[in-house]
Amino acid sequence: MKEYQLGEFEEIVLLTVAILHEEAYGVSIKEDIEERLKRSVSVSALQTALRRMEKKDYLKSELGEATAIRGGKRKRYFKVTKTGKAALDYAKETRQKLWSAIPDVSYEYVKAWISSGRLPHPGLQNS
Amino acid sequence: MDKQRKTPPSWSTKFLAWFLKEDYYEDVQGDLEEEFNQKAQGIGLLRAKRWYTLQILRLFKPDKVKKIEAQNSIEKETTMFKNYFKIGLRNLWKYKSSTVINVIGLSTGIAAFVLIALFVKDELSYDRHHEHAENIYRVTVKNYTTDGDISRQWAFASAGHAKLLKEDYAEITHSTRFYPWAFPDLEYQEQTFRGEPVIFCDPDAFEIFDFKFLAGSEESAFPDIYSLVLTRASAIKIFGNDWEEKNIIGETVSLSRDDNEAPFKVTAVIEDMPDQQHFHFDYLAPIRFVEMIMGEDAANNVGGNYNWMTFIRTNPEADIPKLTEAANDEFWDKYIGNFDSGSAARDFYDFEFQPLLDIHLKSNLEGEYETNGSIEQVYIFSVVGILLLLVACVNYMNIATSHYSRRMKEVGVRKVIGAFKSSLIKQFLSESLLVVIVSLPLAVLLILWALPYLNEFMEKQLSFNPLVQTDIFMGLILLMVLVGGLAGLYPAVFLSKINLVQALKGEQSMNSSKWNFRSFLVTFQYIVTIGLLFAIGVIESQMNFIQNSDPGFDRDYMVTLRLPRGDYSNETFRSELLKNPQIEKAAFSSRIPTGRLADNWGSRFYKGDSAIATSFRLPVVTVDKYFLDTYGIDILAGENFRDGMETDLVQDTMVTGYYIINLEACKALGFEDPAEIVGQKLGYGPSEGRIIGVMDDFHFESLHSPIVPTLFLTRDRYRRISLKIGAEDIRGTLDYIENIFAQFDPESDPNYRFVDDLFNDQYQKEERLGTMIKVFAVIAILIGCLGLIGMVGFIIETKLKEIGVRKVLGASTQNIWMIISNRFLILIAIAFIIGLPVAYWFMSDWLQGFVYRTNISFMLIAMPVVVATLLTLAAIAYQTLKATRVNPVECLKDE
Repeated sequence: MKEYQLGEFEEIVLLTVAILHEEAYGVSIKEDIEERLKRSVSVSALQTALRRMEKKDYLKSELGEATAIRGGKRKRYFKVTKTGKAALDYAKETRQKLWSAIPDVSYEYVKAWISSGRLPHPGLQNS
Repeated sequence: MDKQRKTPPSWSTKFLAWFLKEDYYEDVQGDLEEEFNQKAQGIGLLRAKRWYTLQILRLFKPDKVKKIEAQNSIEKETTMFKNYFKIGLRNLWKYKSSTVINVIGLSTGIAAFVLIALFVKDELSYDRHHEHAENIYRVTVKNYTTDGDISRQWAFASAGHAKLLKEDYAEITHSTRFYPWAFPDLEYQEQTFRGEPVIFCDPDAFEIFDFKFLAGSEESAFPDIYSLVLTRASAIKIFGNDWEEKNIIGETVSLSRDDNEAPFKVTAVIEDMPDQQHFHFDYLAPIRFVEMIMGEDAANNVGGNYNWMTFIRTNPEADIPKLTEAANDEFWDKYIGNFDSGSAARDFYDFEFQPLLDIHLKSNLEGEYETNGSIEQVYIFSVVGILLLLVACVNYMNIATSHYSRRMKEVGVRKVIGAFKSSLIKQFLSESLLVVIVSLPLAVLLILWALPYLNEFMEKQLSFNPLVQTDIFMGLILLMVLVGGLAGLYPAVFLSKINLVQALKGEQSMNSSKWNFRSFLVTFQYIVTIGLLFAIGVIESQMNFIQNSDPGFDRDYMVTLRLPRGDYSNETFRSELLKNPQIEKAAFSSRIPTGRLADNWGSRFYKGDSAIATSFRLPVVTVDKYFLDTYGIDILAGENFRDGMETDLVQDTMVTGYYIINLEACKALGFEDPAEIVGQKLGYGPSEGRIIGVMDDFHFESLHSPIVPTLFLTRDRYRRISLKIGAEDIRGTLDYIENIFAQFDPESDPNYRFVDDLFNDQYQKEERLGTMIKVFAVIAILIGCLGLIGMVGFIIETKLKEIGVRKVLGASTQNIWMIISNRFLILIAIAFIIGLPVAYWFMSDWLQGFVYRTNISFMLIAMPVVVATLLTLAAIAYQTLKATRVNPVECLKDE
């Protein structure tokens, strides 16, 4: 099976591009992430992620229309490629596998201290 | 719509455009501006701007920054340069004849230039190795006549000058004299070395000059007056090659002269003095020893007796003009005051402190210790060297641009594919560099081959070994780049300018204005050629003039030698020699013609009973009664010396004098007719008497200086004998002379010389200069000719069609020859008008060095033009013949 490398921020960006579908370009992606996740995104970080994923072939881009508000510059629209979709699936799958591998015991303790109302002793947390 | 569209800060945008990769820039800047506009409406313009700038600053990260230009271009360029060199090499190979012409031209040009540069560098490096060179001065003394004219300037000073100057002036921190006192015989154990050049000096000598000590040290050099410092060479001479193992310090050698002998201890050994130093000594001994022998008075003498080569070292702040002025103001008054005659010594003497670094190239005073170079020679050589290099470069330019038709299509295709002008320039520059790279090894070979000859001829020890001498290696690399650039620049600019459409169509016609610069180059070559030919002509003609000029005395079959040392009467020596029938005449004298006139006493001429001091210098030569006859000099009036006419000049007694003067002196004393001056009263030094005769003028000194008034008297103290020998069995006669000499003085070498050799020696400097310039000029002319042949060949190549049409219409070969020659003849005429005045100016300057000089005749002026024209016509004729032999159909058929 092919290895897919996907960082946390990259995953968010890739997902957002997928969400925005045909409308994914710099500003819209940035606004969408900022709105949904309530975190500010720098243009620099976003561009790094986009270009790196383009290089990895998860994304492809093409230049679109220019508008006056952009000072006559064209937009670069991003689309998720097949590989990008595969990478997303892979990421989701691995997470799912991990999630499902967590035994219930782990939650017993949590339930116990929530119900008892006591704060857990830090040293006991992993036992 | 918003009326006033907000714009983001422009300098931030510019910064972004500057650093951001091209394929990022458009959309990223668009995104930024879009968001900026939103923000400007939301959070305000100011904050939007701040946000915009901040975002841009954050974008300035390695992954988004453009690749640095150089990184990019180096990759591209190396690929391109590989291509340029490949194409260049192919072209060199394809057009072998022009390659050969170029390589020969450039390699000879470079080789000649490097040889000249080596020579010039060597000449300029004299005495610079001394640490304090800048602050070392030689004390020279000027003598003035009563009229206030300089009569002589001596390279030497009097014995007392060094010490007294140092005492009186604080600026002078050190002073030394070098005194070549009576070369003594040197004995060590069983060995004897005759007449060794021991030089006596003050201990300050080691503080002034940097002598490298191999054994012993500066401090221990002169512990007492019986110390002797050797050089490596003299140590080897006395103690053998293994002197270093023998611990020779403290060994005793004895110096003897006549009957005096003194033991000296070897105290130190210094390295041999480098070639680039204006004096060379083999032994140094303390001058106190000489002072002890001579006595206090002689050691402190301050006027006359200029035999003491004197150097001072000043502190670096010393103001030399001021010091000179002060010394001349005070010194003579303080130590001499007035002469017995009542005139002040200060009017007759002046010091001049001559910078050490000027001595080798700029000094030509009385009694220079060794023959110096001359700055004129350095200038002339530099000019010739640079001209040579330029001619070689111009040659390349001419040939490279001549062949533009071959390259036009290539240039056209390159341009279509997208070559910039700059890359075409780079291409052609790298081609010229390639030619230079090919020429360089050849040039190095030429240099290695020619250097021994140059060294022998110029009496130099120049070395050329670029593998060891890094400065030479770097120099060669620099020269290579320089020549490559210089030679290639014009062709590069020229070829890169070619019109694209014309180039691809294969049109041969060039805009006529483009010929201008090339015509200029050809004219330049003609100027150089004509100028150099003229220079050669003038030098040759002056040399001939000297060879054939009559110095006024007989110099053929004349042998001269030093008198033997020892006790004997001159008459016996003479009669012994004259026993050989092949020795026809013999005469004694103090000096001989071809020498220098130096001995000079004050002279007084009597009108009636009142003496008038003469205003001119009147040097004296002591001769015997046979002198005039031996040298074939005529008595114009009066009589020759007879026995009993000896005038023994001694400082403190007045004697009766008998004088013969030359015609020049007669005129200087105001007498047109020599007969009238005979019998007039004259005073000369400590003598007074009558003029008994007037002799015809002759060139006692070289033709560089005019004939000066000269006085002859007889006195039984001579230094040389001159022998007129027969033309037969010269070898036998010389052997006989050596035998007789050995009978009188078995220990010395007679060292005889032929007077005509001595005569020619006077012009050795000019001979050498002349020969060197001739050699280099011929090289320059040959290089120019090569270029010319290449050039003419090309012109004909481009005119093949024209020639074809003309032939079809009935033109003869001569007609075509004339048409092509025309242009060149015009260029020659222009070159003549420009080149000749320049060359004339240079050469008449050179001729000024001779008092008796050749006329610049019509022949000399016409010769360069005739030669240049003939060479050109010959080159054209050769190429035209080649071209016209082709059937016109051949060149007209393909259109």
